[in-house]
Amino acid sequence: MSRRTGSAVLLFVGLCAAGARAADDVQIHASTDADEVAVDGTLNLQVLVTVPSASQGADVQLPDFKDFDLVGRSQSEQTTIEFSNGAQNIYRRIVTNVALTPRHEGSATIEPVRVSYRGRSYQTQPINVRVLGAAQAQRRRGATPPSPRESEDDPFQGMATQIGARDLMLRATVDNKVPYVGEQATYSLYLLARGGVSGIDKLQVPKFDGFWSEALEEPQQLVNEPRIIDGIPYSSFLLRKRALFPLRPGKVEIEPAEVDVLSGFGMLFSRSSAHRASQPIIIDVQPLPVATRPPAFDLGNVGSWTLSTSVEPLTVSVGQPVTFKLVAQGRGNVRDLRLPRLGQVPGLRAYDATTTDKKSVEKGQLVGTRTIEQLLVPERTGDLEIPSLSMDIFDPAQRAYRTIRTEPVRLLVHAAEPGTAATVALPAQNLLAAGGLRPIRLRLRETATSAPPWTEAWFWPALAAGPFAVAILIASGRARRLFWKDPRELRMRRARTAAQARLRGAEAMLADRRSGAEFYAEVARGLTGYLADKQGIVAAGLTREELSSALLARGHANATVRSLVGILDQCDERRFAPGAADERAQRSLLADGERILAELDRPGKDAA
Amino acid sequence: MRRIFLAVLLAAGAAAAQAPRADPLRFPADIDPGARRKDAAPDGARSSALFDGANAAYLAGDLPRAGASYEALLQEGVASAELETNLGATYLREGKRGLAALHLERALFLEPGDDDARADLLETRRAAVDRLEGETEGREAFSRVLSPLPGRAGSIVLLVAWTLAWGLLAAHLFKPARLFLPLSLAAFALSLVAALVTAGAATWHSVALRRAVVVAQATPAREGPSERTATHFEVHEGTLVRIEDEEAGFRRIKLANGLVGWVPAAAVELVVPPGWAGQSG
Repeated sequence: MSRRTGSAVLLFVGLCAAGARAADDVQIHASTDADEVAVDGTLNLQVLVTVPSASQGADVQLPDFKDFDLVGRSQSEQTTIEFSNGAQNIYRRIVTNVALTPRHEGSATIEPVRVSYRGRSYQTQPINVRVLGAAQAQRRRGATPPSPRESEDDPFQGMATQIGARDLMLRATVDNKVPYVGEQATYSLYLLARGGVSGIDKLQVPKFDGFWSEALEEPQQLVNEPRIIDGIPYSSFLLRKRALFPLRPGKVEIEPAEVDVLSGFGMLFSRSSAHRASQPIIIDVQPLPVATRPPAFDLGNVGSWTLSTSVEPLTVSVGQPVTFKLVAQGRGNVRDLRLPRLGQVPGLRAYDATTTDKKSVEKGQLVGTRTIEQLLVPERTGDLEIPSLSMDIFDPAQRAYRTIRTEPVRLLVHAAEPGTAATVALPAQNLLAAGGLRPIRLRLRETATSAPPWTEAWFWPALAAGPFAVAILIASGRARRLFWKDPRELRMRRARTAAQARLRGAEAMLADRRSGAEFYAEVARGLTGYLADKQGIVAAGLTREELSSALLARGHANATVRSLVGILDQCDERRFAPGAADERAQRSLLADGERILAELDRPGKDAA
Repeated sequence: MRRIFLAVLLAAGAAAAQAPRADPLRFPADIDPGARRKDAAPDGARSSALFDGANAAYLAGDLPRAGASYEALLQEGVASAELETNLGATYLREGKRGLAALHLERALFLEPGDDDARADLLETRRAAVDRLEGETEGREAFSRVLSPLPGRAGSIVLLVAWTLAWGLLAAHLFKPARLFLPLSLAAFALSLVAALVTAGAATWHSVALRRAVVVAQATPAREGPSERTATHFEVHEGTLVRIEDEEAGFRRIKLANGLVGWVPAAAVELVVPPGWAGQSG
C-alpha cells in the first residue's frame, strides 16, 4: 500500500467517523432582535443552523407564523474548516434572516423552526414576543426629531428607526444641506410604502421661502422603484424634485410637504386614504467668501459658467446690420445671471438687446444658456473691434471666484455699393402692446338707477289704454245705432193714440160743461194731428178738396174721407159760429171721430 | 265720447297705482344699496371731494385708502359707472379679482358702452383661475348686442307712438280725414320698432338681474343647499355665474358652460343690486 493510499484510507475513516457523529453535531438556534415590537413595527428573526458537512446542506422550514406576516427573507451559507488536536472539522453554517410584522397587539408566538438534515428532523423552541400598540411603542422609544443632517447624499439613510414605525411615509431629502448662496441644492420628495399605493391626492409642496426654485422632475404618475431598506422591501415613488438656489445666507427651514395617499383600486377593492407629512429640513446656507470677492461681482453669478460671443456676418457694408450674440452657458441658475453689457463701440450704432433663456436638467443639475442678441449697425468703413467682455463668477465646485471673458471680435466694414440703401428698415423700438389696466376716471357722473319703465305697474295699463279707448268708442257707437229710433216713425206709431187722447180730452170737456168752441177745437186737433202724424198730411194748409184727394190717393175709402171732411167742417162751423150746445150731437161727433180714426188706420179694408 | 275716453284712462291709472309690483326674484334687503340711498342722498360737493380723495390715494399707490373711499361713496348711495370702474381697478391692483370683476360688471351695467370698464374686465378675466370648457361665445355676443339698447327711451317712444297710433285710428274711424290713416300707420310702424328695442332691452335686463360674480377666493359648488351634500366642482373668484334659485343660505348657480351647483350665498354677489333694478328687497 502506497503512502497515498494510506492517507486516503485514513481520510475515509475520519470522514466516516465524522459522519457517524454528524447527527449529534447539528446545532440549531433561533433568536429575535427584540422581545417587544410595535404593532406597526418589524421584528427580525435569525435562524442559525450549523451542520458538520461541507457538501450537504440542511433544509430550513419556517413555520406558518400565525401571529405575524412575513415581509422579508434572506439566507446565507458559509463553510468553516477547523483544525483541532490535529483533526480537521468542517462545518456549514446556514443563516436565515426573516423580517416579520405583527398581526395584532398583545402576546405573540413565533412557532418552532424545523430543520431536516440527513433524514432527521430538528426544531427550535417557540419564541414569545410582546406586541405593543403604536403609541405605546412610540413612548418607549422616546420620540426624537430627525436630525437635520441625518442624510447627506443617500435619501434613505437614517430611516431605519422610522421604518420600523411606519408602513407608509413621506420623505423629503436635500442633497446638499450646506450650499453657498446661489448654489444648487436638490430637494427630492419620496413616498415609501410597504403596501399597495394606487394614487396620491392633494400634494402640498413647501413654499421654499428663501430660495429660487426650479422644477427638475414632476412625475405625472407614480413610478415604483423597489428598494430594500434594512432587509425590508419598499416601494419608493419620487413625487417631486426641485432645484433650490438659496437667496441669502443663514439657516433656512423647508416646511414639511403633505400628501394624501390612496390605496386600493376602484370598486372591487376598498379604497382608503392616509394623510402623510414629510419631516422639515433645515439648510445652513453658506455666505459667499467676502475677502476674495471681486468688486464687480454680482450675487446672481454663482455656478460654473462659460462666456462666448459671436457676430454675424463679419463682413458688411456700411449701414447693413449685424447680429451680435453674447452667450453664457453652464451649470447654475440661469435666470438670476447678470451678463456684462456691450458698451458704446465707436462706429457702431447699437439697438436694444433681447434676452432669451434656455434651461435643461443634466444629471439632476440645472443647466442653462442665456443669449443676449443685439443688432449693431456700422456707421463707418474699416475694421471695427467689438471688445472683450468679462464677468466674475463664483464657482461652488472650486469654492472660488473666477473671471470669465470673451475674445474680441473684428468686424470688417466696407463701403456700400452704389444704389443700395445706406440703412435698412429696422424693427420698431417702442412696442406698444395692448392690454393692461386702464387709467382711472377723474370725473364722477352719477347714473340714474331707477327701475325701467316696463317694470313699472303703470306701463302696461297705459299701453293698453289706447286700443281700449278706441274699442270703447267703437262699441258705444254701435250701441247707439242699435238703440236709435226714427221720431217720424215713432210719431206715426203713436198717431192714433194721440188722436184718441185728444178725443178723450174733448169728452172730458163735455163732462166739465165746457162743450163750446174748445170742444170742437180739440176734436179738430185730434183728427188733423192724426192726419199729420200718421198720413203725413198737414190739413191746416189744404182745402177740403185737396185733403180729400190726398186721402183718396192713400187708398182710403171715399165714405170715410167724406165723413172726415164733414166732421172737420162741422168742427170749424161750431168753433167760429157758436150756438147752443147739443150734447147728443157732440157725443155723436166723438163717436164718428173714433170710427173714422179706426177706418183710417186700416186703409186697405176701407178701400175694399 | 271724450268723457268716456278720459274716464277709462283715469281708471287705468288708478288701478296701476294700486296694483302690487312684480317681483320675480327676491333679494335680501341687507345688500340693497338703493334702500340706503333713499335714506340719505349725498351732497354733490361732498361726493365729488370724496371721489377726488379716493383718486388721489389710488394714484399715490395707497390702494386700501382708495378702496375704502370708493366704498364709502357706494355706501352713500352714489351709482356711477366711473366710481365702479375705479373701484374695480383698485381691487384688481390689490389682487382681489372677484371684487374687481363684480364692480367692473356693475360699471358695464350702468354704462354698457364703457370701454375702460370692458378693457379692465378683460384684464381681470385674463388672470382668472376658472377656465370654462365648452363656454359658448354666443352668450357674450348676445349680451354685447342687447346691453347698449336704449330701453328706457324705447319704452317711452313705444308708449307715446302706440297711443298716438290708436288715437289717429279712432279719429279716422269717426271723422275720416285724408291724413289720419297714413299718420296712424306710421305711428304703428314706429311703435313696432320701439317695441323691438324695448323687448331686447327687457330681455337683457332680466338676464342682468340674475348675473352674479364669485367673490370668495374659492368655494365648492355642491349638489344641494347643504354643507353635507357632495361637492360637484369648485369655482374661484371672478367667475361670472347666473343665480337660478336661493334657499337656506345657499344659491344655485349656473356657469356659462352649463355647470350647476349650490354655493354659500355669501360667496357670490349679484351684479345688479336690487336698488338699481328698481326692486325692493
